[in-house]
Parts: sequence; C-alpha cells; structure tokens
Amino acid sequence: MSKISIFHLVFFLGVLVGCGGKVNPGDVSKEKPKLFPDYVDVTIPSTIAPLNFKAQGDYSAIDAVFEGKAGKSIRVQDSKEICIPASDWSELLEATKGDSLKVTVSVKQHDRWKQYASFRIHVSETPIDYGLVYRLIAPGYEVYSKMGIYQRNLSTFDQSPVVENTLIPGSCVNCHSFKLTDPKNMNFHVRGKKGGTILITDGKMNALMTKTDKTMSNFVYPFWHPSGNYLAYSVNNTHQVFHEEKGKRVEVGDVASDVVVYDVKKNEALGTKLLMQDSIFETFPSFSPDGKSLYFCRAAHKKMPDKYNEVRYNLCRIAFNPENGSFGDKIDTLFNATAINKSVTFPRPSPDGKYIMFTLVDYGNFSIWHKEADLYLLDLKTGQTRCIDEVNSDNTESYHSWSSNSRWFVFSSRRIDGLYTRPFIAYLDENGKARKPFLLPQANTDYYDQLLYSFNIPEFVSGKVEVDPNQVDQLLDSGIKKVTFKQ
Amino acid sequence: MKYFSLDKLFSLVFGLVVFWFFAFLYPFHLNYQEQYQMFLFSVDYFRSFFAKPGGISDYTGNFFTQFYFYSWVGAIIIAVSLVLLQRAVWFISRKLEAKSVFFPLSAIPSLMYWGLLCDENYLLGGLIALLWVAGFITTYSILKSAKIRMLFVWISIPVLFWMAGGAFLLLLLFAFVYEILKRESKIAELSVWFVISAILSYAIPTLCKSLFLQYPLREVWIGTNYFRFPVNIPISVGIIVVSVVVIPFALYYLSKFIRKDNSKTLIAGQLIVIVLGGYFLISHSADMSKEEVMAYDFNCRMRRWDQIIAMADKKTPTTPLSVTCLNLALAKEDLLGERMFNYFQKGIGGLMPDFVRDYTIPMIAGEVYYHLGFVNTAQRYAFEAMEALPDYQKSSRAIMRLAETNIINGNYAVAEKYLHLLQKTFYYKHWANNALATMKDEKLIAQHPEWGTLRKYRTQEDFLFSEGEKEMMLGVLFKQARTNRIAFEYLMACTLLTKDLKHFLQYFPLSESLNYRAIPKSYQEALYYAWVTTNKDGSRDIPYPISNGVKQRFQLFQKMPGQANTPSYKNDYSDTYWYYLYFVN
Repeated sequence: MSKISIFHLVFFLGVLVGCGGKVNPGDVSKEKPKLFPDYVDVTIPSTIAPLNFKAQGDYSAIDAVFEGKAGKSIRVQDSKEICIPASDWSELLEATKGDSLKVTVSVKQHDRWKQYASFRIHVSETPIDYGLVYRLIAPGYEVYSKMGIYQRNLSTFDQSPVVENTLIPGSCVNCHSFKLTDPKNMNFHVRGKKGGTILITDGKMNALMTKTDKTMSNFVYPFWHPSGNYLAYSVNNTHQVFHEEKGKRVEVGDVASDVVVYDVKKNEALGTKLLMQDSIFETFPSFSPDGKSLYFCRAAHKKMPDKYNEVRYNLCRIAFNPENGSFGDKIDTLFNATAINKSVTFPRPSPDGKYIMFTLVDYGNFSIWHKEADLYLLDLKTGQTRCIDEVNSDNTESYHSWSSNSRWFVFSSRRIDGLYTRPFIAYLDENGKARKPFLLPQANTDYYDQLLYSFNIPEFVSGKVEVDPNQVDQLLDSGIKKVTFKQ
Repeated sequence: MKYFSLDKLFSLVFGLVVFWFFAFLYPFHLNYQEQYQMFLFSVDYFRSFFAKPGGISDYTGNFFTQFYFYSWVGAIIIAVSLVLLQRAVWFISRKLEAKSVFFPLSAIPSLMYWGLLCDENYLLGGLIALLWVAGFITTYSILKSAKIRMLFVWISIPVLFWMAGGAFLLLLLFAFVYEILKRESKIAELSVWFVISAILSYAIPTLCKSLFLQYPLREVWIGTNYFRFPVNIPISVGIIVVSVVVIPFALYYLSKFIRKDNSKTLIAGQLIVIVLGGYFLISHSADMSKEEVMAYDFNCRMRRWDQIIAMADKKTPTTPLSVTCLNLALAKEDLLGERMFNYFQKGIGGLMPDFVRDYTIPMIAGEVYYHLGFVNTAQRYAFEAMEALPDYQKSSRAIMRLAETNIINGNYAVAEKYLHLLQKTFYYKHWANNALATMKDEKLIAQHPEWGTLRKYRTQEDFLFSEGEKEMMLGVLFKQARTNRIAFEYLMACTLLTKDLKHFLQYFPLSESLNYRAIPKSYQEALYYAWVTTNKDGSRDIPYPISNGVKQRFQLFQKMPGQANTPSYKNDYSDTYWYYLYFVN
C-alpha cells in the first residue's frame, strides 16, 4: 500500500470517528480564513516543507483541502492544527510547480462547520537554496544566555546546531556569513575571553585574532568577496542606551566605525583613508557581484550618545580592485538617505547584480530596534529606489539576504508580536516585484509562540554546513592567527 | 526496641530535623531557588533537558523545585530526598553485611548534602542524580548472579550516564570493589569485565562530546548541574558523591572490628558525633544574612509591604539589597519620607541599586523601577536577570514581570506569549489565565490596582535611562504624573541620601500636588536644618509648618557633644536626618 493510501485510510477513519462521516459545511463564508502563520495567497518554492497552520479564533475541529494540478489533493483534519503529511505535500508541490494550490479551510464551531473562501498558494518553478542558517538569541540587551548558530533544511523541519555558545561558556557567537551561499566558505565570530573570528575557506578552518593596532576593534560585520579571496568587515566601537518610552527599548550606535578588507591569502587587513575617517561613520560593507565595487553605509560623525537620533547613513560605493586589493580614490553616493531624513542599513546586492536591497530607518544603524524599519530596493540599472510594500509591515523589517539565484530573499521581521524576530521568505519576480512573503514553516504551529529566541541574520546556504565545534574550540585555544594591517 | 526499628526511627528524626530547618529557619532560600527556573509541562521543555547527559536529573530536580514556591513543600521534598539517600546508603551497607549498629553513620552523605543545599547555588538536580546512582547501586547489590550483575553494569553505564552524568562512575567503582570482595568470579573474567566497563565508561562520554554535544569535555563528564555555575564544581561535591560508595564499604570494614551488634555505647557515640558534626556543618554552611535578604526580596515580590516593615522593626536591615526592599515597602505604604531614617541608610545604593550583570541584583532593583513607573527599565532588568542565569534557565518571576510590563506598555502580543508559557506551569497558570482575561479589556487594565496605576505613572515622553542621573529621571517621571507619590518620595530620598540639600529645597515645593496632611518627618528635619543653618540670625520665621518636637530635638542635637557612635547619640538621634547628615559616610 502506498503512503498516500495509508494516509487516506487514516484520514477517513479519523473523519468517521471524529465527525460522523464527512465535512459538510453549514455556512460558507466569502472571507478568506485568518491563519497562523498567514499562508493565504503566498508564493512558495516547490521544495519547501509543509506549510502547517492553524486558524485564528476558537473551534473544535479544522479541515483543510489542498487541491493541486492533475487532480492531486490532500485533505487534513484535526482538532487543533493542520499538519500536512510531508511526502504527500512534497508530491503535490512537485506536481503543481508553476501553478497554484487551491486551499479550502473549514472550521467546526458550536457543532457547525463553517467553510471559508478558498485561497491560493502559488508554487514557483524557481528553485530555492537548500536551507537557512541563522542565529537564535533572546532579544535582550547586554546579557546573553544560551544562544547559537543553527541550520535548517528548507525541505524538512530539521534544525541542527552549527555552533552553540555552550561550547565555550560565557561566549557569544555572531555574524555568520557565507561566500554567496556556499557552506564551505563561512565566517563567524566567537566573542568572550576565549574568542576570535572563525574563517572557513574551502572547508579549511582557521581562527583569527582580528584586532590590530591600527583598527579600533575586532572585525564585526562581514561580507565575502565573490572570489573568496577577500572579506570586507566593519570595525566598530559600539554602545547601547535604553529608552524609557513605551514604543522603544534599545538604541545601539557606533561611537566610531570604519571599514576594512581582509585579504584571506595574506592574512592582512587592508585599509584606505577614505574608509577610515574620524569625521565619518562607515559600516555594513558588501561587495558587488563582480567584486569591483564595495558598497557601504556612511554617516557624518555625531557626538554619541547625545545625538544618537541625528546619525543618518547614506548608501555609498567605492571601487575595489580584486587583483591587488586596492581601493578607488572617490566615494559615490548611491542613495542619499540624509536628504529625506532617513538612514540606510544592511545594503545587500543581489547576486545577479540587478539590485541592492537595504533597510531604511529614521536614524542610526541598528534597525532591528526600529519599528519603522522597512525594506527598500535599489534598481542598479535605473537608479530608482522603492519601498518594497509587498513585504513590509507596520513593524520592523530588518536583516535580509538573497538566494543564490536572486529570486528569493529572506528577511527578519517583528510583525508577529513586535519583539521576537522571525524569518520570512519572499519571491521576487523578473520585474522586481515581490510576492507576499511566508513565515518559515515549522512542524508545530505553536513553535513560534513558545520560542523565546529571535531569528537573527538569516542567510541562505546551498548545502549543509559542516563545522566541527571541537575544532573551533581547539583553534581558539591554541591555533589562533593574528591579523596584520596594511594601509 | 529492636535495632531495625531504631534505624528507621533515626531516619524519621533526621527527616523531621531537615524539614524543620528548611521550613522554619531557611525557607526563603527555597523561594529564591524556585524563582530562578520555570518548569514547563511541555514536551519541548523535557526534550531540552533530555538532550544533555545528566539532564534527566536536572529535569527531575526542576520538577520538584517548582514546588519550592511554598517553602514547606520544598522542605518536605528536601527532607524526603535526603532520607532516601540515607536509606539507600544504609541498605547498600547492610547488603555488604555491615553491622546494624552503624546505622547513624549512613547519614553522612545526606548530612553533607544538606550542608551543600544551604548554598542557594546548589541545585536539587545534583541530589536527584545521586539518588539515581544510589538506586542503581541498590539494584546492583540485590542481584544474586555475578554474571547478571556484570551485565547490569554494562547496560547501566550509558543509561545512568544519560540520567545522572559522570556520577555513573560510582556504580562502576562500587561494582568493582564489590566483585573483588565477593570473589564469585575468576580473576581473568573479572579483569575482562572491568576493562570493558572502563572502556565503555570512557568512550561513551568522549564519543558524545565529539559527535554531538557542544559543551566543554569537563561539563559533559559532570553532566548534571550540581551547581548553578556549570563551569565551577566545588570539590565538596566530589567528596560527597564518592562518600555514597565509601561509607558502605567503610561500615563493612568497621563491622569486622566489633563483635556485638547491639552496643548502645557505640550507637550513642555515633549519634553524638552525627548530631554535633551536623550542627557544626549546618551552622557553618547556613548563611542567615543571605536568608534575611531573600526574605526581604520574597516579601517584596509578594507585595507584603507590611511584613517587610515589621521585619525591619524587629531588626534593622543593613545590606543594600534588604534596605532597598525596605525603602520600597516604606514608599508603597506612604512612609518613606516619614520613617526612612528610622532604619539604617547608606546612600542611594540602598534606594535604587546600580545595574550589575547578575541574576539577583537586577531582579531586586527591578522591583523598585517597576513600582516607580520606570516600566521599560523594570522590563530590562527582569530580562537581564533571567539571561544572566548561568545554567541557562528561564525565570518564572522574570517571565511574570515581562508579561506585566508588556501589558502596561500595551504590547499585548508579546505579553500573550509570556502568559502562554506561564499557562504551562503549575503555580503561575491561574495568574496567567487571569492576566489573559484582563488583557482582553482595556477597562479592566485601567482598573487594575497596579497595572492601571503604573500606566498613568509611566513616562509619556521618551528619555534615555542614565544610571548616573537617577535624580533627573525621577524628576522627569514625577513631572509627568504629579500624583506619583512614590516617584516624589524617591526623588526626595535621593537628595537626602546624597546630602544634596540644595536640590531637596528646590524639589520640595513639588509636594504640593500630593496633598500631604503634614510634612513627613525626614523632610521637616531637612527643612529645619537648612533653614537654621542659612538663617543664623533667626530674624525670620521658617515658612514651613515644622513641628515643635522636631525643632526641640534639633536644638538638643546641636548642643550635644560627642561622637556618632556614642550610645546617647545613637539612641536619641539615629532616627533623624541630622544624624545621617553628620555621621553616616
């Protein structure tokens, strides 16, 4: 007997026992259901894990029918939530690629079934990467408890740790990044008494001590050069202050910051005066896909923390020569945010070189604590910038990352409860128009409600990340290399 | 009375004494422990413990620790656990054919563990781990066939490692000595068994570490959180753990030296040693000054302001944290201005303690900020205190505060998240259900005696928290809600405690909006002092209604020569602001 038949048998038995035959809606609503997570009319890749959901409000049973192409369908019924059998789901999506699923949800309230208007789930033909890597950390202030960098297979619900801070008690792990989405080329920092930057190049791991006598701090925000020979980093002297007004909590800002480029082969930090000016804050570097430009955020220096709300960053560019690691001699402003009293953070160029996606806030650079933070898209061909209304919400949208084919992006948003950051994935069509994003699906629909961690820095990866935590520990103990500086 | 019943009577008396100690002498240590964990009746919570060696002991320990909310229940749990350990040690000893006369010495491991539990950072999970091990050793000692015993050890090594962490080695140690003593197996057989057991014991933790456990090797070997700080395991734990095996064998050997199994002198001698040794150990392990701070804190958490003041009336608190609780209680009872100098005061460290990255001080300081109306700071302190827990636990008390502060701030979605978690607890479920019901109706929140008031008190204008400018922050807060009497009294207390009379005089007129029936005593003292010292010619009358009693006392105070510590000064004036102004540095 095939898996589908077994499932259908179990389903029908369930229906017979629980509902006395079949679902026969007494009321048909013209409204679409309100679901958690909200999967109504979203666009998904065909390899995504089942979109399990529950309906909002009280009910004693819920029923959902997923109808795809070629007459294939799945029907699920439960007292609490819709948990779709993984194999049926996978087959249904494969069969419906390039088309959409029709989903009909009914709920049983006071012994009567109410059927909602059907909605669509669009199944894109465009593939998505293997998985996501993110840090799970409580959205706190100065102190941190258990945290870690984790990977998640997008086709299943499997999550596994890459590195956890329990490995080195009292430490913090942060700022993971990949060369595009390559799991064999990865970077992250371990902060604490036994700390350092872990750099994995083509699967080989090194631990670096990145503070030099010419730079103000260890390396902070990273971005890989497409060649893998360089990484751009900011160096930041960061401080925090705390709001007393109810709508705000924390303000994180730089007292000073610069941008440097790390030469992997020479173990050398390269700097230029243009990116290390005392009168300027430079941060959030990222390389263009051709590797010849370095994008970054740039703001006029202000006295901190007194004038924290007057710091505004523009999106800028400087030429970079990957042949010899030299920088251009002028800085271009790509998006003048200060002209509209706004500030740019996290410029992330799409791998196809068409766009730069960034976050826009009222001031400063720590957008995750800014409720007004929204995602924007700069079309590098036309120079036009637009707010991505299709994906933004009334709450924070902050960190974002592109898939390797530039057609999906993942971003962190606080739209669910205003505090705990959750990863949303959205499709961007060939015209640069984004579709309604969907929340990373979980096996249990209460997962996000019960989780006291935020999803921090979600990054796509094209395969499973293999990091040996014991090697991390050993290298930080006795194999750390000191980075030198060259200007 | 037969000796088998005497040993049971001994266990019973031992248990009752332990219960009495924790229920009546040391109850607030149990309340303190309970607040720094949040046992959830959920599969995910269990999984989070099951994923680590020794986690099952920690899970079981946390399960029981949740009942410490009522300290007498906690006292029963500890008493029963320690008696179980004593009975297990005695049972094992008897299996080794120890003479029944030695039953009092079987209490040594329990007695020592009792001493450990006097330290708030020793967790029940450690004792549970020891009980698991004692249980396995007991089972082993019951088995009659040597081969089954050996097989049992092999099976137990991974199971016990996962349940109790590195303490599983005790079983191996016991079995090894036991088999040598029993001589039921051939030497070669025994050697092979031991080598395989040793390899298994070494390989399993090491493999777990290298394959999937992201903890330091030392922590993997120890497993259970005996101590709240997993990186530090005091040597005393090791001694106690080993004593569970050593005591039975010691009693076995001691039994060889005595002929009579009913020597009353020997029993009496042991009892004297146990009682005196126990008294010495527990009296040196118990920290009654910490117990006092914890009592203040618990009453503060429970909003038992009158009990705090009653405690202070019996014995004036002297530690900054207990003084912090007392000052808050006085403010909540509208007595801060009137009576603050009736008690020991020493600067604003006992009024609004500075933030420290630990789990105790922010929790207590957060209470002050909460009741003042600094809702964001109260929220931050609760969050930070919880995150600072070195054993990565979550705190039920902190989660409650996070829920409350989010309700006050109108962040209902976040509040709901915390309340859903509390709904999975045993004690806080009811509170969470009520809070969820209240949250659905804005009117109910407005009418809530605490949340409604704090909503009015909290700042409407944004400003940044500044540890060094507490006075300024209090001023801003009070300026926005002129009925926030606590904020005003804290503002005045700040100026008095920092001996800043200039600002005291500047802020005092703000009290007009609070409609005091009479000027609080401390304020009268400060006003009168300021007036007398600045108007020395006495040509003008003081523009404040100062009582004659205050005036007369000040005149006597001025005339009195002597040192601050002379009995006359202390007796007569230590309750005045003047005494604080002159003699407290």
